[in-house]
Amino acid sequence: MQIKPGAGSMAEMIGGKKPTVENEFIQFNKFAALVIDDIGAMRHAMRSQLEWIGINSVKCVANAEEALRQIETRQFDLILCDYNLNRASSGQHFLEFLRNGHLLSAKTLFVMVTAEAEYAYVANAAEFAPDDYILKPCPEKKLQTRLERLFDRRNFLMPALTAMDSKDYARVVSECDKLLALDCNDRWQMAALRVKAEAQHVLNDAENMLATYQQALALNDNVPWVKIGFARAQRMSGNLEAAEISAREIIASHPSYVATYELLADVRLALNDEEGAHEMSTRAAEILPTAKRFRNTAESAFLLGKLDDAKQFVESAIKLSTGSIAEKPDDFLSLAQIQTDLGDPLGAIHTLEKSARKYAEKDEFGVSLNAILAQAYFDSGDTDKAKKLLERSQHLMTANNSSSTAMSRLGKAALKLGDEILGLKLMTRAVQASGKERHRIERHVSKSMKDTGQQDKVGDVIDAGQRRILVLVDETHKLMREAHFDQAYTKLQEALAIHNENIEALLAAAQLHLLWLKQGGWNEEIDSRAKHYLATLDKLVPQNEKVMAFYRFYNQISGA
Amino acid sequence: MQQALSTLVIHDIKNSLALLEADLEQLNHHAGMPEEAHKAYQRCTELKQRLISFLTLYKHEQSGLKPNLVEVDLLEFLQDMLDVSPSTNGKHGHAFKLEVDESRIRIAPSVKHGGSALLDEYLTGLAIESALNNAVRYAAGSVKLWFEQDADKVTFCVQDDGPGLDHPSGNAPSTGVGVALCKAVAEAHGGGEVSLVDAPDGGALFKLSLHCAT
Repeated sequence: MQIKPGAGSMAEMIGGKKPTVENEFIQFNKFAALVIDDIGAMRHAMRSQLEWIGINSVKCVANAEEALRQIETRQFDLILCDYNLNRASSGQHFLEFLRNGHLLSAKTLFVMVTAEAEYAYVANAAEFAPDDYILKPCPEKKLQTRLERLFDRRNFLMPALTAMDSKDYARVVSECDKLLALDCNDRWQMAALRVKAEAQHVLNDAENMLATYQQALALNDNVPWVKIGFARAQRMSGNLEAAEISAREIIASHPSYVATYELLADVRLALNDEEGAHEMSTRAAEILPTAKRFRNTAESAFLLGKLDDAKQFVESAIKLSTGSIAEKPDDFLSLAQIQTDLGDPLGAIHTLEKSARKYAEKDEFGVSLNAILAQAYFDSGDTDKAKKLLERSQHLMTANNSSSTAMSRLGKAALKLGDEILGLKLMTRAVQASGKERHRIERHVSKSMKDTGQQDKVGDVIDAGQRRILVLVDETHKLMREAHFDQAYTKLQEALAIHNENIEALLAAAQLHLLWLKQGGWNEEIDSRAKHYLATLDKLVPQNEKVMAFYRFYNQISGA
Repeated sequence: MQQALSTLVIHDIKNSLALLEADLEQLNHHAGMPEEAHKAYQRCTELKQRLISFLTLYKHEQSGLKPNLVEVDLLEFLQDMLDVSPSTNGKHGHAFKLEVDESRIRIAPSVKHGGSALLDEYLTGLAIESALNNAVRYAAGSVKLWFEQDADKVTFCVQDDGPGLDHPSGNAPSTGVGVALCKAVAEAHGGGEVSLVDAPDGGALFKLSLHCAT
C-alpha cells in the first residue's frame, strides 16, 4: 500500500491498516535544520550531507549560545547537536537546558551526534534523552535512513505533537488513543504511549498514567524510560513504597540511569528522609554532572548542615556553568551564604564583591546580595556597615521581587542583627508566599531560624500564615453553603491578603464566584472576578482537574 | 605522556579520515565523476573502517569493551548495515546483490520480544561490517544477511556465493583482525561464538552469536 503525501494526518492516511509509509514521501526539502558543532569542518560536512538528503534550509552554529538564539527566533524540524561542544556545556547540558525551559517544540527532533568514546556517557540520560543518537562519523546513507525513520515516526505522531505544542494535554491524550487504535508496529505504539504518558503527567493524572505505562510494559518491559515512567507514576499516585521498589529494581539492572536516582531522591524526601534524598541526588550529580544537579545537591547538603560538601557542590556548579547558558548569579549567593555559615565572612564578602560584581545589584538578586553581605559584615565585626546593608536590602525589596528565597535571606540577616520583629515577619511571609515551593522554603526558614537562635519559634512561623488561611477558607465554605456570598468574599480577601497565590484560597474563590453567578444571577463584576481567579489558578496549577472542572462549569453557566 | 600523545594523534587521524571520507562522498555526488573518485571514496572508507577496528581491538585488549546495551530492532539494524556497507561492486567490478534475506530470518517461539534485542549497536555494527567486507571480497554475485533469534542469543549470519573455504582462492581470513574483532564484540556482550564455515548450499557462511536475553 502506498500512501499519498499531504493527505491529512498519518493516522487518517493509514486508516486502520498497517502503516507502510514509503520514504520518498518525506519531504525533506520542507524541513529546517540546525547543526551545532564547534569544528568548522564538521559543520561543513554535515551541511553537505543534509543538503544531499534534500534539506536545503540548514543553519550551522558553533556553540550553544548561538544555537539558543536561533531556537528562540524560529522553529526547527531537526537539530543535530555535537555532544562535545567546546567550553562548559556539552550537548547533553544543552538538551537538558532546552527541555527544562520548554524551549523546544514537541515536533523538533533533537539528534545527538557523538563520538564512540562519549556514547556511554550520553546513553545514561534516560530522561532527557535525545530523539536519537548518531555515532560520528556517520555516512550520509545511514544518516538519511535514520532521519527517514525519525520523520516517519514524527509524521505518525503529528496530531498528538501539535496538541502538545498548543498545551492542550487532554487532546494529546485523545489523539494518542486514536493512534493507538491503529494497527501499527510496536515501536510506533511505544512512541504514542510515551507521548500520552507525558501529557498525563502534566495533567497530574496519576491513575491513567500508570495504566499507560502498564500498557507500554506489556509491549516491552526492558526499556528504561518505561520502567522509570512507571515508577514515577507510582510515586505520583502516592504509592511511595511501590515507587521505591520499582526504582531500586531499575538501579539493579541499569545502575547508571540518572533519572532513577532523582526519582528516589524525591521519594526519600517525601518520606522525610533528607539524608537519603541527599545521597541519591549526589549519585545523580556524579553520574551526569550538570550545574542544575550540583545546585540541587549543594542545597540538600546545605540544609543538612553539611556545609563543606555544600560549598564544594556549589563551586562545581559555578565552574561548570560560568560562561555558558546555564550560568546563574544565584550560585554566588548560595556560595556566600555557605561561606558565612562556615564562619568565613571574608570569603563571603570576596565572593559577592569580587566574583559576583559583574551582576547588576537589582531586584531579587540585589535584595539577597545585600542581605547576605549584611550577615557577613556583621560576623566580621563591622556592625555599622551591616546595618546599612540590611536597610539597603529592605529598600530594594518591592512587592514584585519579594520571592520567598529573598525574604528568608533578608529575614536571616535581620535576625542576626537583632531585629527580631522584622526577622520573624519576613520568615512568616516567606513561608506564606512559598506556594508550590512550600516544603523547600520551610526547610530553609527553619534552618535559618535555628542558626540565629530562634529555634523555639520555628513552629509558629511556619504555621502562622497557613493556619490562618485554612481557617478562613473553612469559614468561607460554610458561608458559601448558606449563600452568604458577600461575607464569604470578605473572608477570602483576608486569606488572599496573607498570600495571594494560596491555592486553597484561590480554589475557594473560584468556586464562590461560580456559585454566585449561578445562584445570584449574571453580574459583570462577579463574572470578571471569576475569570480572574480561574486564570490565576490556570497559571499556578496548569491543567489541574479541579480547575478544569470549574472551567467546564463556567462554560455551562455562561452559555459559552 | 607518550601514551596521551599517541592517543591524540590517532584520534586526529581518525577524525581527519572521517572528514576526508565525507569530502569524497560529496565529490561523488557530482555527475560524470571518473571511476577513480569512487575508488578513492571506497578506499578511504575501508581504511577508516580498518583503523576503527584496530582501535576497538586495542581498547578491548587494554581495558575491555564496555557495551552500551540498547533495544535494537534487528531487521532495521541489518537494513542499516547495508546502507553503510562500503561497496556494492565485487572484486571483478560488476555489480551484485547485497540484501537482507527475510525468508531466512528465524525467531524461536520462546523469544519474548521477537525481532528486537538488547545489543551494543555500535560494536555489533563493527563486527558485522567487517564480516560483510570479507564476504563482498569473495562473492561472485550476491551476499545475504539475516538473523536467527533464540531465547538466550541472537545470531547474525552473512553468506556469500563465492568459492567457499576449501578453495585456494576462498575466504581464508587475511589478517585475523576481523575475526578477533568479532570475538571481542561477543565477549563484550557476555559471550558468544564466531564461526566461518562452508555453507551447505555453496559459498561461505559467517555466523556471529551474541549471548543476550531477548
